[in-house]
Amino acid sequence: MDRYEVIVVGAGPSGLSAAIEAAKRGLKVIVFDENDKPGGQLFKQIHKFFGSKEHHAKIRGFRIGEELLKEADEVGVKVELGATVIGLYSDKEVSVRIGDTIKHYKGDTVIVATGAAENMVTFPGWTLPGVIGAGAAQTMMNIHGIQPGKKVLMLGSGNVGLVVSFQLLQAGCEVVALVDAAPKIGGYGVHAAKVARCGVPFFLSHTIKEAHGTDYLTGVTINEVDDKFRPIEGTEKFFEVDTICMAVGLSPMSQLLKMAGCKMEDNPKRGGQVPIVDEYGETSVSGVFAAGDVSGIEEASSAMIEGKMAGVCVCGYLGYISEEEMQSEIQKLETDLDSLRQGMFAPKNRGKLIEKTEEGIDISINLLKKGFVADDEIERFPGVVHKVGIHPVMECTQNIPCNPCQDACSKGCISIGNNITCLPFIKEESKCVNCGMCVASCSGQAIFLVDEDCGDGTATITLPYEFLPLPEVGDKGFGLSRNGEKLCEAEVVSVKSMKAFDHTNLVTMKVPKEYAMKARFFKCS
Amino acid sequence: MSVVIDRSIDIGEFVPQPDDDMIICRCEEITKGEIRKAVHDGMWTMTEIRRYLRTGMGLCQGQTCSRLVKGIVARELAINPNELEPATARSPMRPTEMKVLGKEVS
Repeated sequence: MDRYEVIVVGAGPSGLSAAIEAAKRGLKVIVFDENDKPGGQLFKQIHKFFGSKEHHAKIRGFRIGEELLKEADEVGVKVELGATVIGLYSDKEVSVRIGDTIKHYKGDTVIVATGAAENMVTFPGWTLPGVIGAGAAQTMMNIHGIQPGKKVLMLGSGNVGLVVSFQLLQAGCEVVALVDAAPKIGGYGVHAAKVARCGVPFFLSHTIKEAHGTDYLTGVTINEVDDKFRPIEGTEKFFEVDTICMAVGLSPMSQLLKMAGCKMEDNPKRGGQVPIVDEYGETSVSGVFAAGDVSGIEEASSAMIEGKMAGVCVCGYLGYISEEEMQSEIQKLETDLDSLRQGMFAPKNRGKLIEKTEEGIDISINLLKKGFVADDEIERFPGVVHKVGIHPVMECTQNIPCNPCQDACSKGCISIGNNITCLPFIKEESKCVNCGMCVASCSGQAIFLVDEDCGDGTATITLPYEFLPLPEVGDKGFGLSRNGEKLCEAEVVSVKSMKAFDHTNLVTMKVPKEYAMKARFFKCS
Repeated sequence: MSVVIDRSIDIGEFVPQPDDDMIICRCEEITKGEIRKAVHDGMWTMTEIRRYLRTGMGLCQGQTCSRLVKGIVARELAINPNELEPATARSPMRPTEMKVLGKEVS
């Protein structure tokens, strides 16, 4: 039986982060993962992450994964792939299936970072081929490069549902509808807005009544529900689809911890059955730690910090660092984690109805119900101002911990204010030089460069564009509204793709000037 | 954390529902009706349901259905799903062929 100072189960963001922290302080670490590739869900995440610089903001998920793997390799973490941990025992022994054999390992400490599994909901026809999890769709598109289907209905408006809907559009699928039984959109407004401006209709307070088809999925009927989630008769709507994606939450895969005898609790706020852990992530079994989604559903950025904490804690637990050093490291990480857990979407605000931003501005109701900020709501947000000449318009309307925009502008036009969750605003005295860095840096694709009056009755709008093929200069088409409706004729006058933009291309379109604050997307005719 | 369920309470008669033939556990092909009937047969814990019907004992080991089954059982008993203790977790955590399980190497 091989012995390691630290055994990590799961090579996702949290497991790898934990392993790195431990290995760089000299501990002998092994990481097991049942998949053939490390990185967990990170390699499916092709969108730019939110947060601050320290949280890898505006870096695409898979790049963060690559960085983690490189770092793990450099500090000597051994990552065993295709290795399924089939048992974890209270004396910190694990049995692992590797190939056609079972091997046993003994750990001085064990960090369980097994992540989570997708939830499902049932409706007649839910077992038909074509009804899949949103994570499965992401795997098909972003790992294997295949379309899950041609016409897709997405169930669930949390960040997973919104992000995957956008990725489906990027992969060339048609998203016919985004449906959620809740009365308001669960994920970030900016994620919803970029899906809405492509013309995807949102159906809140709706659920799937039935999926149609005999051998495979051919269509779906949805209906409206009342405030007790009971179907309202006569509200049925039919869509022809070949795919239904379900993004209805995640459940921690905590069975290993239960098996090891850790005290567990059923905590709906954490997503289900989770271990009871102390402030360091240690479970009730001494030396067994939990980190990441397995101890409560959050997202990759906080999973990485939790992983680091567990990594630091095992170093302290095994005496590799002093108690003081451990405490000071943990304190730093806790501050980091706290800054991520701020704003409207913070875990502490889950389920709460928030009506005003931190600045005291009324939240856009339309954004919560339809996925886009209405024309008569947008003007009240601080990032939306009118100026002569080219200037940024920042349609950032919810308090989320994210600030890449303020560092993006070399002229210092943009400020977030004191708190990372504050809405960005334009500094009065600033001068925009039309570099476009702010547009490309916004992970929510919510910044536009607008020249409201070019002097000839037209206006130009520079927008973030992450679709292929890219339009070309001279292409004629339509300016689309925030909900994807054709507003006016538009012509592409500039297309910029720079390395610094990291695949967020900048398309500038010319529209009649009355649409300067209304047109937010371009569609070729 | 385990919640003792008072087995003397009356949960009433089994009343058929229109979607009773809907499959819940895909691996073992167990329907909603079968799960509801099992509750009326006296299976009031997740472990009992699992042993009685084999829900969650197939290929995916309950990854998909355990939450769904829990919800159905809780509704039948008119309790909160959080009050039901999940079924025992034991090795092997993933489906493993006997020939592999028996081939231990040091």
